[in-house]
Amino acid sequence: MSEAPLIEFRDVAKVYGEGEARVAALDGVSFTIDTGEFVAIMGPSGSGKSTTMNILGCLDTPSSGEYLFAGIPTTTLERAQLTLLRRHMLGFVFQGFNLLARTSAVENVELPLVYRGMEAAERRQRALAALARVGLSGRADHTPSQLSGGQQQRVAIARAIVTDPAVLLADEPTGNLDTRTSAEIMELVTALNREQGITVIMVTHEPDIAAHARRTIRFVDGRIESDEERAEPAHAL
Amino acid sequence: MLYEAFKLALKAIRRNKLRSFLTVLGIVIGVAAVIAMVTVGNGTTAKVTSEISKLGSNLLFARPGQFGPGRASTTAKSFNARDVTAIEDQVTGLRAVAPLTQSSQTVIFGGESRTSSITGTNAAYLTALDWDIASGRGFLDSDERGGRAVCIIGQTVRSKLFGSTDPLGQSIRVGKISCEVIGTLARKGQSGMGSDQDDVVLMPLRTFQRRIAGNTDVAVVVVSARDGVSTSKVQSDLERLLRERRGIIAGKEDDFTVNDMTQMLETVTGTTTLLTGLLGAVAAVSLLVGGIGIMNIMLVSVTERTREIGIRLAIGALEGQVLTQFLVEATVLSLFGGLAGILLGLGLAFATVTALGVPFVVSPAIIILAFAFSAAIGMIFGYFPARRAAHLDPIEALRHE
Ligand SMILES: Nc1ncnc2c1ncn2[C@@H]1O[C@H](COP(=O)(O)OP(=O)(O)O)[C@@H](O)[C@H]1O
Ligand SMILES: [Mg+2]
Repeated sequence: MSEAPLIEFRDVAKVYGEGEARVAALDGVSFTIDTGEFVAIMGPSGSGKSTTMNILGCLDTPSSGEYLFAGIPTTTLERAQLTLLRRHMLGFVFQGFNLLARTSAVENVELPLVYRGMEAAERRQRALAALARVGLSGRADHTPSQLSGGQQQRVAIARAIVTDPAVLLADEPTGNLDTRTSAEIMELVTALNREQGITVIMVTHEPDIAAHARRTIRFVDGRIESDEERAEPAHAL
Repeated sequence: MLYEAFKLALKAIRRNKLRSFLTVLGIVIGVAAVIAMVTVGNGTTAKVTSEISKLGSNLLFARPGQFGPGRASTTAKSFNARDVTAIEDQVTGLRAVAPLTQSSQTVIFGGESRTSSITGTNAAYLTALDWDIASGRGFLDSDERGGRAVCIIGQTVRSKLFGSTDPLGQSIRVGKISCEVIGTLARKGQSGMGSDQDDVVLMPLRTFQRRIAGNTDVAVVVVSARDGVSTSKVQSDLERLLRERRGIIAGKEDDFTVNDMTQMLETVTGTTTLLTGLLGAVAAVSLLVGGIGIMNIMLVSVTERTREIGIRLAIGALEGQVLTQFLVEATVLSLFGGLAGILLGLGLAFATVTALGVPFVVSPAIIILAFAFSAAIGMIFGYFPARRAAHLDPIEALRHE
């Protein structure tokens, strides 16, 4: 267990469609990520970043190759086991926010805890704490349509971290945000990585956002173009 | 988890009030029909039963032919006055034995006329039915033996023909004969089946046979057992005697029927059972249609909420949890329909029962059954859509729209 890296991609390929419409979204990707790392994934649009994130999040499966989580080949797991892995180990911040409409911020954040069978009072308390962590204490009862893009993004992050996941997967968490909000969110993510030791894997195409990470994996056309470590990651503004 | 699913279900239903209402309309109508039917039926039965117990449970009725739920034959030969005498003489433990023949005739007095039920019988008839004479007198032996043209009239006939005039000693026309009114009967009111029991004219059997029927037939023999005498013993004695008199050899079936009041009631309610069955079938069809409505709307709901389901699955909901959520939603929806149906049905039943003058008898069993049935409909017809939701691929569902 302890020798195996937390995350390992072995020659992972993902193919969509057939014949003329065939697209190789990922074409032989291999990397490992250890516990506590902060990895930025960069690359042009359509290079396979989201596909990689979906496979990392056990929402999608490779067409070939193997994804090992804590040394366990995920292809050997059944659907329910993958759900439990997601539920207990992974926090996912989607590229679109994917919050439940007409549902308050605090209820959105509570959702993963509901499925864990946590009792209402404890659930509410933890959800409020997570909202406080992302600086949204005053907006707990607002529905997504009553929140700005940045606030919705924070709710999505609160929902991802409320379960204390081992890994936080964030697909362009600052994609549609202004510079200042982006900076605040990066500060939060960096803090989660530094203080709570959560492994962070984050997709972005902004170099100054990627600069917060210690390591950057760059994708081009479904392949890894470069995988570099930085000695001194930038600090939040 | 079930509580959460319940809360979510209420939320989803509230979000689409009109649609939810239209969806469950089939269930509402089906359940309301059943509840109304059964409640009105219970009321009628209660009324008939209470009247029968007023009449006394010691009455037996012998009729030629075979009767019973689902069979009726009238080809057998009639009884006659000698059968009545034989019963009086040979069956022990009897309080009264009365022959009965009936026909509908026009009754005329002065300028008034009406069509009433004419009964040819004897003095024992009033004893058997505990029916009192209100004024005048009953039949005497001499009336019966002589076949005299005398009659006793019910209160409806009295008030319709005579108004405030004293009918005693007057001559009325019954069919083609004229007969003297010697008495009036105490008021009896409506029968359990809704007919007016006071719209009758009684005359001696012999008078009826000779002057109205033109034969010596007796349609029914009414027998009243003495208090403390078992009616089933009287019934078997009666059957034995009648078999003997009618020359039925051992092993052959009776060509007559002896019933007590409850058996009579069963014969009567046999037809209501058929009607209930028919209406029940209508209700079943409407519940089926209601169920399909629920299935349809749940499928629409699953499609509309594909993205929501994707989010739930991605966030850690197990298939079973999503299945439960949608199953509970369909069940709650259907239960609302059931509840509305129960209320509507009781309302309809109350109105009907009040109009019929029958007691309002609510059966808890049928309400529980209706509730359970609507829950079952929700579960059965909600299962397929719920399974479809649970089996969605999270990543596909998240890409939806
Ligand atoms: N569901 C899909 N069906 C067909 N092609 C897809 C699907 N998802 C992604 N692709 C294709 O795979 C490639 C990689 O997509 P994606 O991983 O979303 O890129 P990125 O997130 O880096 O922009 C793109 O060419 C995209 O069109
Ligand atoms: Mg993408």
